Amino acid sequence: MMYTLYLERDSFLHRLDPRVKIIGSLFGIITLILFNSPILLSLLFLLIVLTLAILGKITIGEIFNVLKPLIPISIVAMIIWPFILKPWYFGLFIGFGYGIRLLSVALLTLGLIMTTPQRDLILGFIKMGMPYEIGLTLTIALRYIPTLYMLAQTIMDAQKSRGLELERGSFIQRAKNTVPILIPLIVASIKTAHELSIALESRAFGASKRRTFLHNIKMEVKDYIALGITFALFFLAVYARYFLGVGYIKLF
Amino acid sequence: MIEVRDLWHIYEGKKEALRGVSLTFGNEIIALVGPNGSGKTTLAKHLNGLLKPTKGEVIVDGMDTRKHRVAELARVVGYVFQNPEHMFFEENVFREVAFGPKNLGLSEEEIEERVKWALREVNLEGYEDRSPYSLSGGEKQRLAIACILAMKPKYLILDEPTTGLDEKNAEGIKKIIRKLYREGHGILLITHEMDLVLELAERVVLLYQGKKVFDGDVKEFFELDLRKYDLDRPRLLTISEEIGLGFFRSVKEFVKALEMRT
Repeated sequence: MMYTLYLERDSFLHRLDPRVKIIGSLFGIITLILFNSPILLSLLFLLIVLTLAILGKITIGEIFNVLKPLIPISIVAMIIWPFILKPWYFGLFIGFGYGIRLLSVALLTLGLIMTTPQRDLILGFIKMGMPYEIGLTLTIALRYIPTLYMLAQTIMDAQKSRGLELERGSFIQRAKNTVPILIPLIVASIKTAHELSIALESRAFGASKRRTFLHNIKMEVKDYIALGITFALFFLAVYARYFLGVGYIKLF
Repeated sequence: MIEVRDLWHIYEGKKEALRGVSLTFGNEIIALVGPNGSGKTTLAKHLNGLLKPTKGEVIVDGMDTRKHRVAELARVVGYVFQNPEHMFFEENVFREVAFGPKNLGLSEEEIEERVKWALREVNLEGYEDRSPYSLSGGEKQRLAIACILAMKPKYLILDEPTTGLDEKNAEGIKKIIRKLYREGHGILLITHEMDLVLELAERVVLLYQGKKVFDGDVKEFFELDLRKYDLDRPRLLTISEEIGLGFFRSVKEFVKALEMRT
């Protein structure tokens, strides 16, 4: 069981300030939406893969692994287009672009998570103006995924010991079979949340408006340079799209 | 008869939890003891097929656990999990206890009879309409036992049955365990509480780092240097030894001997 997508590496992307990576991913996503030319989108996809592989030391295999579950969806996105656009091969061509775009957007977001420890990622969001409470909520939510997973396993074992068979019966029967798992899980989750809130309050959570951080992040020269390059590339993309009319195919 | 033969279990991510454990037991009260991470729970989960052996085999009354589903093995081996709340989901006690027998595909009358019987065994008669979550800690533990008992298994695995209970409730659980043993159940207690071991167990199996390091009579077990295995010696034994009175299994016996002496 993999609890987190983060991959511990010593790379340029890993050392980059999380804020730069967040802005970079955001600009990347906007850029991907600006264009619809399948050729350009494929090139952008390749660029993301290469950036992660070279600057982030993430192997092609690892990239493929995180994208694997999304391949069916992107194929669906692709084969819808021939039904909308005529002739069919032109539709397929455009659909291919949309499939690639979907994977690219996913890979940008996943790449951010794969190269940034959870703590730094949330700290980055907080430093960019997200309220601390939301940041903490996010951290707690992520922190409890493995705990809940383990709890669900225990509950499943307990109910299997009472003769519950999860993999048997019709679709409706199987749906019903999840009730004995879900109810204890929800009850335990609510109890845990309640206890956690008491623990937080007893440690004076919210007592002071101004918070300090034990672990801090600081923009360095390389971060400013990377941020500058990110901005430059983004404006180049906008310029190419709106002033040069590159990379956009009028469909209707 | 449950037979465990040269059992190895390696969890995904290569942690060796059990390293060649062999064990045979029938109608007796066995305490399975050992520090955290010694493999107690891993071993117990093999007995009703929740885990399958990486190497070796577990035979339950002639059934190889690798070839039978948990639901089939549950008729023979009942496993009461540590936290009762991890199994409660029905609106009342009656339905909660009936869940197991229902899964076994029994008739309506048979189910009702078994629920009544199981609740009587754990002294919870009259609780049929209460919500399981509304019960006290001791009652919840008893209800958990009833839920498993209603499936009429020959062997019962009880994981830390008295942990977190006060003296009176723990006493109630011990009484139930003794009664079930007398009625012919084989009982495996997984526990850290050496007092419970001293009082109830006939035989003790000590696991340490995935290996069986002791298997024998309780009296012999308490002659071991338990600190080596991060286990405590019961206060009762320390005191009775200090005043030269020998081996006792309960405070009652000890007090009786004291009175005899004076």
